[in-house]
Amino acid sequence: MSHEIVIPRLGWSMEEGTFVGWLKKDGDLVRRGDAVFELEGEKASQDIEAVDEGILRIPPTGPKPGSLLKVGAVVGYLVAAGEETLWTVPSPMTNSPPALESALPPAAAPSVRRQAREAGIAINDVAGTGPGGRVMAADVHRTRTSPQQQEPVTALPIANPRPTHGRSAVASPRARRVAAELGLNWSTLTGTGANGRIRERDVRAAAASGHSSTSAARAGQRLPLTSRRRVIAQRMVASRQQTVPVTLTTKADATNLVNLREQFKRREPLKSVGGSTPIPSYQDIITKLVAEVLKRHPRLASRWDEDAIVLPADDELHLGLAVDTEEGLLVPVIRNVGGLSLSELAGQSRRLADQARAGKLVATEMQGGVFTITNLGAFGIDAFTPVINLPEAAILGLGAIRREPVVLDDGQIAARHQLTLSLTFDHRIVDGAPAARFLQDVVNAIANPSAWLLG
Amino acid sequence: MTNDQFLSLFRTMLIIRHTEEELARCHQRGLIFGACHTYVGQEAISTGVCAHLTNDDPIFSTHRGHGHALAKGMPPRELMAELFGRATGCSRGRGGSMHLFSPEIGMMGTSGIVGPCILQACGGGYSSKLMKTGRVAAAFFGDGAVNNGAFHEGLNMAAIWKLPVLFICENNQFATEVPFSYSSGSPHVGRRAANYGLPGFEVDGNDVLAVTEVAREAVARARSGGGATLIECKTYRTRAHAEGMGDFTYRTREQVDEWKLRCPIASLRQRLLTEFGIAEAQLQQVESEITALVAESRQFAESSPLPDAATAAVNVYATRKTGIPARPASNADGQNRPSSGDPSRVITFTQATHEALSEEMAVNPTIFVMGEGIGIRGGNFKTTAGLYDLYGPERLCDTPISERGFVGLAGGAAMTGTRPVIDFMFADFILDSVGEIVNQIAKMQYMSSGRLKMPVLLRGCIGIGHSAATHHSGSYYAMYAQVPGLRVVVPSNAYDAKGLLKHALRCDDPVMFLEHREILTTKCHVPTEDYEIEFGRAAIVRVGRDVTVVALARMVHLTLSVCEELERDGISVELVDPRTVSPLDTDTILQSVAKTGRLLIVDEPPAPCGFAAEIAAQVTDAGFDDLDAPIRRLTGVFTPTPYSPPLEAAVVPTAAMIADAIRSLVKE
Repeated sequence: MSHEIVIPRLGWSMEEGTFVGWLKKDGDLVRRGDAVFELEGEKASQDIEAVDEGILRIPPTGPKPGSLLKVGAVVGYLVAAGEETLWTVPSPMTNSPPALESALPPAAAPSVRRQAREAGIAINDVAGTGPGGRVMAADVHRTRTSPQQQEPVTALPIANPRPTHGRSAVASPRARRVAAELGLNWSTLTGTGANGRIRERDVRAAAASGHSSTSAARAGQRLPLTSRRRVIAQRMVASRQQTVPVTLTTKADATNLVNLREQFKRREPLKSVGGSTPIPSYQDIITKLVAEVLKRHPRLASRWDEDAIVLPADDELHLGLAVDTEEGLLVPVIRNVGGLSLSELAGQSRRLADQARAGKLVATEMQGGVFTITNLGAFGIDAFTPVINLPEAAILGLGAIRREPVVLDDGQIAARHQLTLSLTFDHRIVDGAPAARFLQDVVNAIANPSAWLLG
Repeated sequence: MTNDQFLSLFRTMLIIRHTEEELARCHQRGLIFGACHTYVGQEAISTGVCAHLTNDDPIFSTHRGHGHALAKGMPPRELMAELFGRATGCSRGRGGSMHLFSPEIGMMGTSGIVGPCILQACGGGYSSKLMKTGRVAAAFFGDGAVNNGAFHEGLNMAAIWKLPVLFICENNQFATEVPFSYSSGSPHVGRRAANYGLPGFEVDGNDVLAVTEVAREAVARARSGGGATLIECKTYRTRAHAEGMGDFTYRTREQVDEWKLRCPIASLRQRLLTEFGIAEAQLQQVESEITALVAESRQFAESSPLPDAATAAVNVYATRKTGIPARPASNADGQNRPSSGDPSRVITFTQATHEALSEEMAVNPTIFVMGEGIGIRGGNFKTTAGLYDLYGPERLCDTPISERGFVGLAGGAAMTGTRPVIDFMFADFILDSVGEIVNQIAKMQYMSSGRLKMPVLLRGCIGIGHSAATHHSGSYYAMYAQVPGLRVVVPSNAYDAKGLLKHALRCDDPVMFLEHREILTTKCHVPTEDYEIEFGRAAIVRVGRDVTVVALARMVHLTLSVCEELERDGISVELVDPRTVSPLDTDTILQSVAKTGRLLIVDEPPAPCGFAAEIAAQVTDAGFDDLDAPIRRLTGVFTPTPYSPPLEAAVVPTAAMIADAIRSLVKE
């Protein structure tokens, strides 16, 4: 009895996905729940688990890494031992020759390569633990955190893991191949060959000079839409069309918040399984505070559902974190923020942000959020108008923390840390006053974080 | 003749007749895939001639060859299975009606072309003479062949060299549908023999006893060193040219009926009863035996398996070496040359090939050389200088200017166990024999399912220079490289030339060995020890980094002459010399292009469908992702070669043009 392995639907609008690669080899025994292959959906890639058991048979016409496949497409079979497949394949019983030592760089997903580059790690130095020695994100992470890794950061270009079609420049086949090998987007380069043709030397020169594929998009260039960009666009338009957004802005005194974080920094690092506990970021602390405030204002975390407004339970306060990635905005979700310690929250938010940037988020890690926090403070932005992440009711934007002169109650002027907050809410669900009261409590919580966290 | 001999003739003719009639029936029912040319009416001829031949005596035939095969002893089942396209057919399903092979019984093959069998029989005779085997070769051909050049060249060669050959002309009065009375100035063929100094006979081809009698004398004459005989057997085919063709646009039903009354089998039967006292019952017994044999043969053919499609490209080339004297371990790779011996030993290209030929002739008595002026004179380019004194006139055989004739003869000689070397002087000359090379020599191993070996070495000069003008300057290797079954070798230096020629003289495939005339006096180190260079292994003449140049023969020298200058300008050239055009070492070229990303092919002949085009196509296909620039060709101008020096210089790539092309390519 053979079972078909098909391309699953990873999200509500997914019609097709990009096959990343097999995680098992032809002839491997696959148990129920084993990850069999990696699939890139609309927003993230995911390890697809087997729902049946058997020996994996990959047909000769099976998918190649990078091929686009329709949902439901059969990519392989799980068969009983000794069972014949429809095509002729070598028996798994025959002794296949041992894999030869390859002089080639180890296999790794483009996103993993980028992580390695960003961390200043030579991918060749990373011991891969994935199928066939494939270097996985965790391997890079492990190498990064090991103390002996002190390699200087090599200025290598940022990868564009997906080939860009519809190019406006012309590159030689070899230049294209080398660009792919170096993880470089050749379409943004200037060619020195005949008629401006991009040649191998142009790619290598760009690689040597640390050319970034994304920052060098040339004027007048026509960038084709990626599937992720399309999804983001659809969701943004839907939010604008389906909600009645109102944005409130105010300032919070963040002096105590900054002090609190200093205390975390000065604390002896806690050792825990899987490495040291990260120091919570301002955003982590604010996220925790917002969860506490939302317990008092659950309507800000509710959702519009046809004929009702659905409020979350206290243990359903799943908060989304907007993460900027190469490929566009992603919003991973931290579960039950109210139930997490600050350290746990910090660990989770870091892991999710890393995965988002690596394109490794699992679809479920981006689902179920009730409220989103977005942070443009790092770019020096103060107030802005965030767009509600459907089907949520509100989104809180964090601005930069700045030291500003403040007139104190006693009339004196002092330098205090100030943070601008921008709350966008859906006026269908919440009116102005309750939204303002929520924001007022957030301001209060940021001004007095210890009381809110310990209370 | 004894009664058994008479009955044997009767039996053979009857086998032919019944088999042909059964095949005609099968053809009508659509059981035979292709053409079917029957021998009905002509049975007496092959029967009478083959009665005097053994399995060791080779015969060669044409499209109407069923009767020759059967008379030579092929079981009807093998013939029928062949026409049924079965794996059990005499040619394993590769030939059908017109390509019957059974070398085991001396049936060396039938051909869809009418002339070549005459020349191949000469080759069979030449092998017999050279190896002193006493074998007699026979060619069977129709009246359609006697106005073909092969007839003239073949009979003349057989006469001057006293070859043990029977030329059997079956004059059935129509070349397909063109009457012999129209196409020949004389209605008789036999008397043409006198023009060549050969004995000639004209007999009633429907009288098996008459044919037998004249053939007996001819075979005896041939075996005893008396040379060849032409026998014209006047006959008539009483079925259409091929089954299914209309028959009465060029002859009348009355004429056919009249000839049917002169049936050779019926007339022999009558004489056996009346003149030789053989009983009716005995004849009837033979007839019923043969009826059963043919029925069984058809059943065998129909129930035999069709050939495996996976074998369709097997035996294009020989798979193993045969008849090669034991050799010291040879160094097959020119990259790793033997280093022992005197390193200062430097000889010319011509001296190197002369050494190879001379050494091989010393150890292999089946090798003989044919060509114009290659005997006492020692060859136009001194290719055989001094060898005549060593090996004599049979192994260094001067020829008349009969390129088609002696190339065709070489094919027949190779089929019968000797190893001809054709020294054709200029490649332009053997264009007269391209049919023999392409249709016969190149295809013979394949059509015979590898049962025949074709060690024919065709060597001579190519190349433009010294105002040789257009009939002494062609190259043509791209044309030959398009022919499956041929090996095409184009060496660029003395070392390669010797190693490649040695390999050519030891392999079993037909080899076109083309020597560029303008580099014959170039010298390089050639060791005295024995070595051999396998075909299909390119030499990396110069290692480089920036651009790959592929070139042959003289173009290798021209390219090499500009490499240092380019190196000074920072352009590092890798120069690849494939050495053989077929097989072509694309792997080495691809590896080089993978390194450099650029490819220029420099070739002396014009570009269309050429050597450069082939490499460009293969590299584009298999090495696309390695290319950093378009593939460039620098070739000769698409024109015949002119005489006057400025005109001649204008049609060939020069060193300056090569340098410019390389500079331009690295700027791409």
